[in-house]
Amino acid sequence: MTLLKNIWEWDKRNFERLRRFQLPHRFKQIGFALFLVAFLALLAFRFVNNDATVIKTSLKYILLIGLLIISVSKEKIEDERIVQLRQQSYQVAFVVGVLYSILILPLVNYMADVIFKKESLGFEVNSWEVLFIMLLMQWFIFRMMRKKCS
Amino acid sequence: MKNTLKVERAILNLTQDELAKEIGVSRQTINSIETNRYVPSTVLALKLSELFKKPVNDFFTLEEND
Repeated sequence: MTLLKNIWEWDKRNFERLRRFQLPHRFKQIGFALFLVAFLALLAFRFVNNDATVIKTSLKYILLIGLLIISVSKEKIEDERIVQLRQQSYQVAFVVGVLYSILILPLVNYMADVIFKKESLGFEVNSWEVLFIMLLMQWFIFRMMRKKCS
Repeated sequence: MKNTLKVERAILNLTQDELAKEIGVSRQTINSIETNRYVPSTVLALKLSELFKKPVNDFFTLEEND
């Protein structure tokens, strides 16, 4: 019985640690640097017409990782109000992400079909795009909330 | 909910920033509470109560629509 209880306690402790997981504030700059470098590199690749698919794909992943690091880094003073604003920003970002994939993207694809008379892309949703939109929205909404709700 | 945080702060002659540092939150949080945009948690309210040496009810009061 004590063993079971110990396992239960250990599990509870670890879960609590996971629930509170956040990176220190300085990681925000690292995340931003990764994001910026990957973003600029991707932008540069648009003008250079070569088939560096592997590099492009890895850059896209680095971009997402950068945004994720920004998202899970603490603020300078992470107090209870910031925690609340953070939760709200995730909530909005989630809804925006879903709306984007079920509404905006198909609509844009449909418009593109009508205007350019191209092969329909239908409801094909690019997971990278959705993740990008969600992370970016969370970042911006959190920033906006911190400015406007203070 | 109404509050008289600003008054209590004036009594102790503290700025928003000083009060914030005293109870371990950001200055923006104190500002948000004073302008009724944020309702603090019980923990924060009790910390304020300890600092002001007054019961919580003295500076936080319910409004009719609460």
